[in-house]
Amino acid sequence: MLRHTLLFTGYELGVMRRNLAWPIIGIMQPVLYLLLFAPLLTSITPNGELSEALIVFTPAALVMIALFGSMFAGFGMINETRNGVLERLAVSQAWRPAIILGRVVKDMLMLVLQSLLVLGVAALMGLRISLAAMGLMLLLMAVTGLFAANLSYGLALAVRDENGMSQIVQFFLLPLMLLSGLMLPMSLAPDWMQTVAKFNPLYYAVEAGRAMFADDFSDGDIPIAFAIFLVLGVLTLTWSVRSLRKLAG
Amino acid sequence: MIIEAHDLRKTFVAKRGRGKTEEVEAVRGIDLSVDEGEIFACLGPNGAGKTTTVRMLATFTIPTSGTARVAGFDVVKEAAKVREKIGYVGQAGGVDDNAPGRESLVLAGRIAGLSRKDALARAEELFAAFSLSEIADRPVKTLSGGQKRRFSLAIGLVNRPPLVFLDEPTTGLDPQNRANLWDEIRALRDRGTSVLLTTHYLDEADALCDRLVIVDHGKIVAEGTPEKLKKELAGDVVTLRLDDLEGARKVLAAQPYIKETQVEGDSLRAYLDDGEHGLPTLLRALEAENLAIRSISLDRATLDDVFLKHTGRSLRDAA
Repeated sequence: MLRHTLLFTGYELGVMRRNLAWPIIGIMQPVLYLLLFAPLLTSITPNGELSEALIVFTPAALVMIALFGSMFAGFGMINETRNGVLERLAVSQAWRPAIILGRVVKDMLMLVLQSLLVLGVAALMGLRISLAAMGLMLLLMAVTGLFAANLSYGLALAVRDENGMSQIVQFFLLPLMLLSGLMLPMSLAPDWMQTVAKFNPLYYAVEAGRAMFADDFSDGDIPIAFAIFLVLGVLTLTWSVRSLRKLAG
Repeated sequence: MIIEAHDLRKTFVAKRGRGKTEEVEAVRGIDLSVDEGEIFACLGPNGAGKTTTVRMLATFTIPTSGTARVAGFDVVKEAAKVREKIGYVGQAGGVDDNAPGRESLVLAGRIAGLSRKDALARAEELFAAFSLSEIADRPVKTLSGGQKRRFSLAIGLVNRPPLVFLDEPTTGLDPQNRANLWDEIRALRDRGTSVLLTTHYLDEADALCDRLVIVDHGKIVAEGTPEKLKKELAGDVVTLRLDDLEGARKVLAAQPYIKETQVEGDSLRAYLDDGEHGLPTLLRALEAENLAIRSISLDRATLDDVFLKHTGRSLRDAA
């Protein structure tokens, strides 16, 4: 089981290594937000300093990579439903969940690597966090990726159409982003928005990230975020493996 | 018997918009038995249920009813064991376009349980067998259709399966590549591998397979060796175009040397054993009834004639 997962991951990493430009372009958006948006937040921080704004905004920039990167991971798989690759793998000796999970692990690794790069940019701009916060944040990104990528593969296998999939992802992206307090903390929002945000898993990722970066490891949102993404990750994996079975009609 | 299928059926539920669904009976009771070391063909027009049948036997699609044993194992209850024993090359090929063929092949080998070293060695072996060594490291998307097809076949054989399924293996290939692929499929049989292939090409089934079934509308309409199926009919066929098709058919059907007659579209086909000698007699018979012939041709009977006999349509028109 593990062996097959790692075999698929290794293969996918090889494919990615030959096309390194894409994941690098993928972090341009969060980097631009760090450069051009984080400075705006200095007006809401206590001392009006950029380093404070970065503590608030860097976790959001990281979640953004998960949203705009991992959520689109499934697009490649739509083609594989047509070119026979999935059909062949489904009747091979491969452990079926590994077909999805192998790709998801690749996406998780990629997300962690991209996060490291973005963290590097933030550090250059003046972000100072503890190693523990950084390590924990990268772990959180990994489980966020587990959920986002599985969801994306599940959608791809259920929809099996590039146009439909891009409409659905776009439809969810904006409310998910705005209701996670990604741009501005949800504490600035009216009560009803704060209530709605509690149903958005990404809200917990952003909040947990901010708590970690502020060295507040006792914050309840941290275990909640990990638990939510692990559970959702397992659920979405189950869903995508089922959709894989449905390919056969 | 490497394949034994009994009364396989598959009904799909197709969406017809606005929440409506429609049941489509793709396969409606197929019995098959394939011997070890045999090239067995499913011949039929597009939409006859060939692909669905192969997919059920290869454990991809679960049958709605019926049973099948492949390499001694039940395709539903022991699917994992079946998968160890088969190679499957689908219609779409199933080769990843974005990676070099070598990577796909090594991955397939390792999934089948080989170590990295053994998988690399097995890949080399298959590249040599299919003349792929020089292009093994080029991204597959840069290759021609024939080259891709050879990669698909190589991937299907990576686990040395005793049985391979080839779904429409030569569709879209030019004549030269088709002929080469036929040779490779024959070479497989010579090494003891059983092959089940589907095709809608008559000449392919005729030239390549040891036995075949003709499938139409999800059912088997004829089964046997190509020779036996053609012999059931007659050796030769005379195709006539004339105005009074029905009149001519009655005249010819009454002739003792005519084994069978078929009206197909605007032509009449008459089957007889010794066409060269029968033709003058046939012409005289039609002339005696004042039936004017617009054109006439004499050919060897093909599997298309067998298909026509059993379905009332020509395979060329059936698609």
